[in-house]
Amino acid sequence: MARLKVHQDKIDDPEALVAVCPFGSMSVKDGNVVIDDSCRMCLNCVNTGPKGAVEFIVEKKKKPLKKERWQGVAVYVAQVDGEIHPVTYELIGKAKELAGKLHQPVYALLIGSQVQAAAKELQHYGIDKIFVYDDPKLARFAIEPYTAVFERFIKQNKPNSILVGATTVGRQLAPRVAARMRTGLTADTTILDMDAKSTDLSQIRPAFGGNIIAHIVTPNNRPQMATVRYKVMDAAPRQEEISGEIVEKKINEKKLVSNEKIIDIIPKPAEQSIESADVLVAAGRGVKSKAELDQLKELANLLGGQLAGTRPLVENGWIDVRQQIGLSGRTVRPKLIICVGISGAIQFIAGMDNADNIVAINNDPKATIFKSAHYCLVGDQSDIIPQLIADIKARKGE
Amino acid sequence: MAYKTFTKEDYTAILDLINDNDRVLYQDAIQEEYGHDELGGTESLPDVVVLAASTADVSKVMTYAYENNIPVTARGAGTGLVGACVPIEHGILIDISKMDQILELDEDNLTLTVQPGVLLMTIGDYTAEHDLFFPPDPGEKSATIAGNIATNAGGMRAVKYGVTRDFVRELEVVLPTGKVVTFGGKVVKNSSGLDLKDLIIGSEGILGIITKAVLKLLPAPKKVISLLVPFPTLRQAIDTVPEIVRSENVPIAIEFMEQDVILDAEEYLGKKFPDHSADAYLLLRFDGNTDEEVEKAYQPVADLCLKQGAVDVFISDTQEREDSIWKARSAFLEAIKGSTTDMDELDTVVPRSKVNEMVAYFPEVSKEQGIRIKSFGHAGDGNLHAYMLKDDLSEAEFQKRMTKTMELVYEKAHNLGGLVSGEHGIGYAKKRYLKETMDPVNLELMRGIKKTFDPKNILNPNKVFDV
Amino acid sequence: MNILVCIKQVPGSSEVKVDPDTGLLIRDGDNVKMNPYDLFALETALRLKKEKGGEITVLSMGPQAAKAVIEEAFAMGADHGALLSDRRFGGADVLATSYALSQGIKALGDFDLILCGKQTTDGDTAQVGPEISEYLEIPAVANVTKIREVTDETMTVEMDMPNQLEVVEVAFPCLLTVEKDIYQPRLPSYVLKKATADRKIPIYSLDDMDDQDENNYGLSGSPTQVKKIFPPETNTTQTMLEGTAEEQAKKLTTTLADLKLI
Repeated sequence: MARLKVHQDKIDDPEALVAVCPFGSMSVKDGNVVIDDSCRMCLNCVNTGPKGAVEFIVEKKKKPLKKERWQGVAVYVAQVDGEIHPVTYELIGKAKELAGKLHQPVYALLIGSQVQAAAKELQHYGIDKIFVYDDPKLARFAIEPYTAVFERFIKQNKPNSILVGATTVGRQLAPRVAARMRTGLTADTTILDMDAKSTDLSQIRPAFGGNIIAHIVTPNNRPQMATVRYKVMDAAPRQEEISGEIVEKKINEKKLVSNEKIIDIIPKPAEQSIESADVLVAAGRGVKSKAELDQLKELANLLGGQLAGTRPLVENGWIDVRQQIGLSGRTVRPKLIICVGISGAIQFIAGMDNADNIVAINNDPKATIFKSAHYCLVGDQSDIIPQLIADIKARKGE
Repeated sequence: MAYKTFTKEDYTAILDLINDNDRVLYQDAIQEEYGHDELGGTESLPDVVVLAASTADVSKVMTYAYENNIPVTARGAGTGLVGACVPIEHGILIDISKMDQILELDEDNLTLTVQPGVLLMTIGDYTAEHDLFFPPDPGEKSATIAGNIATNAGGMRAVKYGVTRDFVRELEVVLPTGKVVTFGGKVVKNSSGLDLKDLIIGSEGILGIITKAVLKLLPAPKKVISLLVPFPTLRQAIDTVPEIVRSENVPIAIEFMEQDVILDAEEYLGKKFPDHSADAYLLLRFDGNTDEEVEKAYQPVADLCLKQGAVDVFISDTQEREDSIWKARSAFLEAIKGSTTDMDELDTVVPRSKVNEMVAYFPEVSKEQGIRIKSFGHAGDGNLHAYMLKDDLSEAEFQKRMTKTMELVYEKAHNLGGLVSGEHGIGYAKKRYLKETMDPVNLELMRGIKKTFDPKNILNPNKVFDV
Repeated sequence: MNILVCIKQVPGSSEVKVDPDTGLLIRDGDNVKMNPYDLFALETALRLKKEKGGEITVLSMGPQAAKAVIEEAFAMGADHGALLSDRRFGGADVLATSYALSQGIKALGDFDLILCGKQTTDGDTAQVGPEISEYLEIPAVANVTKIREVTDETMTVEMDMPNQLEVVEVAFPCLLTVEKDIYQPRLPSYVLKKATADRKIPIYSLDDMDDQDENNYGLSGSPTQVKKIFPPETNTTQTMLEGTAEEQAKKLTTTLADLKLI
């Protein structure tokens, strides 16, 4: 049990020590500094308070972990009906880098039904061993059997670390597995690194809605688990030659019992609201014709996003009021917004200036929009947009 | 009165005065938005637009206009609803929106000195950083402070704090002659002759152009919570308002809203309102410095509402909850706009005791004249916003029915002891209704004042009343 | 139906900052609220109760002051509440938090359905719900966007999947984590607030748990450790993409590709 002990005799100024706590968990009672149960054990009082005033006491009775028994970096293969989700290749890229620092192998864990083709495809990515659990009962994701398979994989192979894509499946499977293994799991990591000496995985993730970044380690437990969102890491390149071994595994049918039944699979309703779109192409007054607007719609589609706009376009009936960004419209926070022919009225800016990446295309170099943009293109959109569409198509191989 | 026709020479002369090509817009460079305001019912483009950067700019241009008998109109963010900033006689439009600097925060006197183009939202953000606030709270946060002063804007905190007029200490004004004067002062009391500052407030740019303002601030309340109170009928809701106003702890806002407007806002925003099961709602807002203080303030009012037949009293005490209510409230105008093809608005104000009669009259006149009317508003201060919707009517038919409806509503308001406009102003669009309902003696006094300030009638002519 | 809803008290605003010099969290200490995502879980419970009857219990873990969120749940219509509060629970990561909550749930009784919000606004992990279900050894469905049908033994829900929605029938007892906007949460009622003002909220400490091994709770029971917190880098740089239209388009395409936006 870890706890904090306050040594009152080492405190000169109790109020100063109390002020150190970022959670307001310390107070002065009868001249003594006390810690209440809102304490988050951030240890700030230990580290930045007067020396020795607060002592961090760890009474360990656990067996020391034999870290060297845990070898290799594993990637959970996100797949639906044999189709591999691209986040998998990004995780493989990262796993190879991490395993490389330890001189340990990279594993892939593939769970599903009739996934032989997917396993073969994975052989193009330089994985050492691809473990395949193929069973009709595993055709679709179900939490209980998938967790059972995952558990078996971990127990048999003892990987040092496991990376899981933060897809809707990964985000429920990974924590269930972590709880079963009684190990740590860090959600939505953005940076991962491996310390070759301690074999500890260094995990960086945002918290508080991205307002804080935390550096997290799992020093006393194995495997170390982390989920990673799509489009965060760099994908491993596909190689022509085949490498790695496909290891077909069987699992006892009794382990594949599920209390859930998939009754139907239905298409997702198309994402309508501009507030939830990751990518927006926003049109302003500078867009002079319906044809130009159609081009922007095409651009939005190419980028997997949606078309939005400013008030004048709503007023002349070109876009719906639900697509209007701004103080009197909707507030958006996409990963990317491309503002085309928008001058940058404050009403509009206030509705989008929290976007991660703002691109502005406008022929007026003095347009206010450029003050808020990260990427500025001064020029005529009717020249730039068709070119941009062609380039993106080319890059996507269409 | 005939004005001088604006020529290329005038343009060159003004360009010489300003000496910046980018700040004097002529012919094709004039964007069409300079020809209308937010509602867009009144349209007329200026001959030239001057983007003023200083009081001196305004004064120089005004002097030139005075000497050459050219009409001048001042414009802020163009968020008005009655065409007050539309240059009916063309001529020069002075856009003050680039004069957008906060000049001084005087924490000893609790005043904020600003240029005229500072936006309300900027003032809100800036004062919040210093734990202060500027109480007037019109829905349109992207309006300029000068525009707010020129219309004596009210907004949603009027019940407790009053209107813009109550928070202006001093104004720097460029007169129609080009002369720069200062009215009022950084003082709390003032008994020094006629209050010219108060004449400028609400004068809709016909007496002078505001180039600097000293605003009065208050310490910001730390907690704000709202009560959303569902009532079985609108009548019960509105009947409760005078009781609330009489109670010890006055809310900062008392708004009323009906189910159909809420449904429009849900549709418009694509978000559900926290409750839409009742026919009518009162929305009350309280502020204070601690949760306990605010809770103590609202409890008697909540009990009162229940006694008056409220179905329940819902408490909104977090940012998410406040957003879910007030974002919808702020979107009412846009939502109603989105539900029809075209519309016009009414901004009548009646004594608080007459709100119920006025509200009851809307469905009556709507049925009688065959025009859809939606209303919501500041029940606590008697300022009612009603919107007449065009829907499938032909333009001619819409104009006909709307005009008739407006006449009837203004007449009704007048009979109830009310006035044409509570906070949007008269501008161009509501001129005839002011004339029809205002005592001629009052109008004559107004004309006299206009003449004293602007003998040549060159500043924002054709607005508010005919000279 | 006997429903338990997990709720958490979080800072009133996620606009917290890290002092770049001291590495301390700067936040408004007394401004707290119920985790907004939990409101969707509670609303789901209230709708189910209205349709199927039964009772709703809310459970929270935190300091004594976290009673406020339980009282708030009462004002929204919850029937019972309990708070896990013990200094020995302090410093818990996801695993230790989930474990303590699952122990608390076991101590409170048997439930047909356990509802959790998708995530919290402070931790942001979305992991506590699935981990609780593991400790309780019950099936769980995450990302529930809609409840279709409820029978005596099962419920049928729509689960958000990467490319589709899956309609899943799950047997009771089970745990669901619901998506934001599954229902618009109601506001707390003043009438209920007054009516429930005297309702007792029992406090559970480690001594009330079935497993009393301190090593499974709090910091000791947490495999992950926060080494450091720091403010994010903000994207304030501005890049001009110049040249002919063709060159500009090329540069933008490359930029978008580098940002993984293509």
